[in-house]
Amino acid sequence: MSKLEKEDIQGLLVRGYGNLPSAKYLLYTGSQRKETLDFILQLIPKITPASEKPANEALHLAFTYEGLAFLELPSPVLDSFCREFKEGMAELQRQFVLGDTGENAPQHWDWGNEPLHFLLLVYGKDENQLNETLAGIRQLSDAKGITELYALPTGLLQGQKEHFGFRDDISRPIIRELLSHPPQDPDSTFPAGEFIMGYDNLYDELAPSPTVPPQLDPNNKLPEHRDDSNLKDLGKNGCYLVFRQMKQHVPTFWEYMKANSSDPSAAIGLASKMVGRWPDGSPLTLCPFQPDPSQSDTNDFEYWEQDKAGLKCPIGAHIRRTNPRDHLVTEKSRKDSLEMAAKHRMLRKGRPYGPPLTPELDPEIIMQKADDGKERGLHFICLVTDIRRQFEFVQNNWVNFHKFGGLENDADPIIGNHYQNERRKTDSFSIPEYPVRKIHSSLPNFTHIKGGAYFFFPGIRALQYLTDND
Amino acid sequence: MSTVHKGLTVTVTLDEQKIPYVNGLLSEYRKDLRLYQEKYRKSLPGTFFISWLTLPSQVYQDRETLPARILLLTSYVGSKSRHLKELAAFLAPQLRQVFSQSVEFPSGEPSEEKLVQFLNQKSIPNTFYSGFKFISTAEVEQEAQLKSEVLSYMQKQESLGPASEPATVKKAIESFVSSHPKLHWASGGIPFSSQNKVQMLWPLAAFGLLMLASIVSLIALLFTDALLFRWLAWIFPVFLLITGALFLLLRLNENNPHEPSPELSDEKVREIVALETNPVINEMTVIAPLKKGWVRRVFLALTLKLVGLVAYFAYIPTVHTARWLQMDKGKRLVFIANFDNLSEAYAHDFVDSERRSMNMAVIFSHAFGFPATRWLVHKQYNHRSEYMKGVRAHQKITQFWYSYNRDLSVENLKRNRAFREGLFKKMDDPAIKDWLLTI
Ligand code: HEM
Repeated sequence: MSKLEKEDIQGLLVRGYGNLPSAKYLLYTGSQRKETLDFILQLIPKITPASEKPANEALHLAFTYEGLAFLELPSPVLDSFCREFKEGMAELQRQFVLGDTGENAPQHWDWGNEPLHFLLLVYGKDENQLNETLAGIRQLSDAKGITELYALPTGLLQGQKEHFGFRDDISRPIIRELLSHPPQDPDSTFPAGEFIMGYDNLYDELAPSPTVPPQLDPNNKLPEHRDDSNLKDLGKNGCYLVFRQMKQHVPTFWEYMKANSSDPSAAIGLASKMVGRWPDGSPLTLCPFQPDPSQSDTNDFEYWEQDKAGLKCPIGAHIRRTNPRDHLVTEKSRKDSLEMAAKHRMLRKGRPYGPPLTPELDPEIIMQKADDGKERGLHFICLVTDIRRQFEFVQNNWVNFHKFGGLENDADPIIGNHYQNERRKTDSFSIPEYPVRKIHSSLPNFTHIKGGAYFFFPGIRALQYLTDND
Repeated sequence: MSTVHKGLTVTVTLDEQKIPYVNGLLSEYRKDLRLYQEKYRKSLPGTFFISWLTLPSQVYQDRETLPARILLLTSYVGSKSRHLKELAAFLAPQLRQVFSQSVEFPSGEPSEEKLVQFLNQKSIPNTFYSGFKFISTAEVEQEAQLKSEVLSYMQKQESLGPASEPATVKKAIESFVSSHPKLHWASGGIPFSSQNKVQMLWPLAAFGLLMLASIVSLIALLFTDALLFRWLAWIFPVFLLITGALFLLLRLNENNPHEPSPELSDEKVREIVALETNPVINEMTVIAPLKKGWVRRVFLALTLKLVGLVAYFAYIPTVHTARWLQMDKGKRLVFIANFDNLSEAYAHDFVDSERRSMNMAVIFSHAFGFPATRWLVHKQYNHRSEYMKGVRAHQKITQFWYSYNRDLSVENLKRNRAFREGLFKKMDDPAIKDWLLTI
């Protein structure tokens, strides 16, 4: 097991900054290359490495492909990035793979179509601290003629919930190399290479990583590529960052649940079937009939033995699609399912935005509230080393594929793109039940893509190389 | 009669310069298909899939140029001769137009009968896998309808709730099916089920018996000197010896330095994936020359034969059909698959599982650019990414692709079949409960 170079890794890869509840995501585009490079150069010392556990503030920096091209990285370097990153999230083929069609199509997004160059993720221990850090950054960006296109606010919600009223951020893959005593069972943790470039991944190889011919790194800023001594590894200690701003239609969500249930508790039951956990986080697989607050943090459960048919947690539930754990309907064994599911995980780092419909986020109360017309949702962010294998695969094959797990017309009930046309119907949700499955149909879209982009989230040496490349 | 699913592969050589013209024709047919899908379905009732493409020349062993070709790959149920007739009757103008570009095509305007003869003569063996083995085209529709009628019946039955006994529920469903004029057909069993198994398994049984007879003869020779035993006794040791020798030769061949496939340009990948726009099923064709050495050709041929013998037991998730074959005296490997969703997702079915990537190595490791192995199945470094690269590097654009079924995944087909199989079958309560989950 190789040792992680924590001082070179941006800290977001190993932390969620729960102690820094205030955060803003800033999307920029530069106007002059030189000034932009200066700006980045001045930011680098402020970037939080994984070796630090900040108490007050944290800062992270990621680039789009346009951003790297704007910085005039030489073409062999630009070419070495993966195709999805080069094409960008709004490109036609990516749009198709991601299911961003109809009202989710990029032409309806608020952002993501214009030339974005980079993203700053700024965290503070409170609003004052955050504003102070932001003021410093703004001073610098104004001086360098850098346009802040969007400043996306975030706001953690009470009880670690998301806006529909469900506990979120419970299931997280654990990087083996971060543990001082890794568990015996290797299946319960992940090799760093699944999320950090330059380390072995689950296939015992390095994830594809951007590279630099040595002559283009005259100041020797970058480490040698482990598999090819003729190349420098620009990706080492970095990864890709996937960003999708997802608006949540909270009143629509609960209206649907109420309209399709006999009473409020049945409405909560139906919504929980769609998520796969009760609002308090307890997993349906372990608590099929009612929530159990003592299980609200529990992530140690599987489906093969406990719920193969989906009678407790439906096969099409959000958590079962995004992480089928040890039971993929198309696999013949638990082992094959585990192997397959493990290869499509991601580190989720997003945060909610917008005011909650009710501050306590209790579904019984939320569902009584009328639409307040305010926008709210999730800034979905995930970190991966392979956009296609990890994020896109899940989004395409498990979230949006309406035939997932032997289903017929069902996309993910929570985040799927729901529609009907002559070739496809994706707006049903099936609940296996005795004596016959229950089908909820005509699901509206409960979420809506408002913007998104793929970013490169470099290691700190790689950042230095980017500013040093003339 | 049977409903075993089979593959037909027809190929002829083509002057490389004619490729653009033939591609143009095939692409036109593909466009027409958008309008005439129903006509195809009605006129080709035994045909599940058609892939029709041109293949440019390829280089084998750095020196030999393998010719450009036209390939027509279909899959069907029923007899081969009926399938050929069906193709010739409905697609005669297209078959004539395309194949007449090859010097191998008979001169003039061959009649349908001649066309059948031509297709038959130019067809080559393939190893075929089907994910929904014994379902005919007509049954695809019937079984889907059966399930959907039963589903809506059940949804309306307020008296059949969670408190009902499983046997009562099953009985109610069965009487609904037998009294429904459109579902009456489902009251009988599944046709040809034993013939299908026999047809698929007899070659394996014959092979097994032959080997067994040889081993028994070896033992019998200790006691008797009968001529039959003397002959039979040779078979098993010779088989072992040949496979063993081939293995050793292959191991030596594996020491050749690995030559990776040149990576396909982003542009080319875009061109390929741009055709994968079908909402449920898509297709992929991979054609690669083999690695250097005659042993690769022989070993692959033997492997494909053995894989064919055990195809009944094989399982590849999300695959409707797959086939492997060798062309040009075994120097080229052809692989085509029809699968659920996109090729990117499908490729993961192989590379994500240790076991399946091992199985895949048994065939693909012989093809140029695919990862180096040790003793055929043991991986060397960068196995997974090299496989993905190898597949993409040799993936061809299939100019014409038709699928009878466009809406049901393999899992849908299998569940519909499982539901039908359970009808009128004796079951205990837990089995009934499981069966009801297939609705
Ligand atoms: C507004 C959008 C979304 C909402 C409201 C939402 C909500 C939730 C909730 C409540 C959970 C359960 C908490 C947990 O297990 O940690 C969860 C889990 C998860 N979600 Fe989402 N999610 C959203 C978007 C996404 C997207 C876009 C993806 C990726 C394509 C995703 C992937 C996951 C994964 C991988 C898990 C963990 C599943 C497990 O390991 O059991 N989510 N989500």
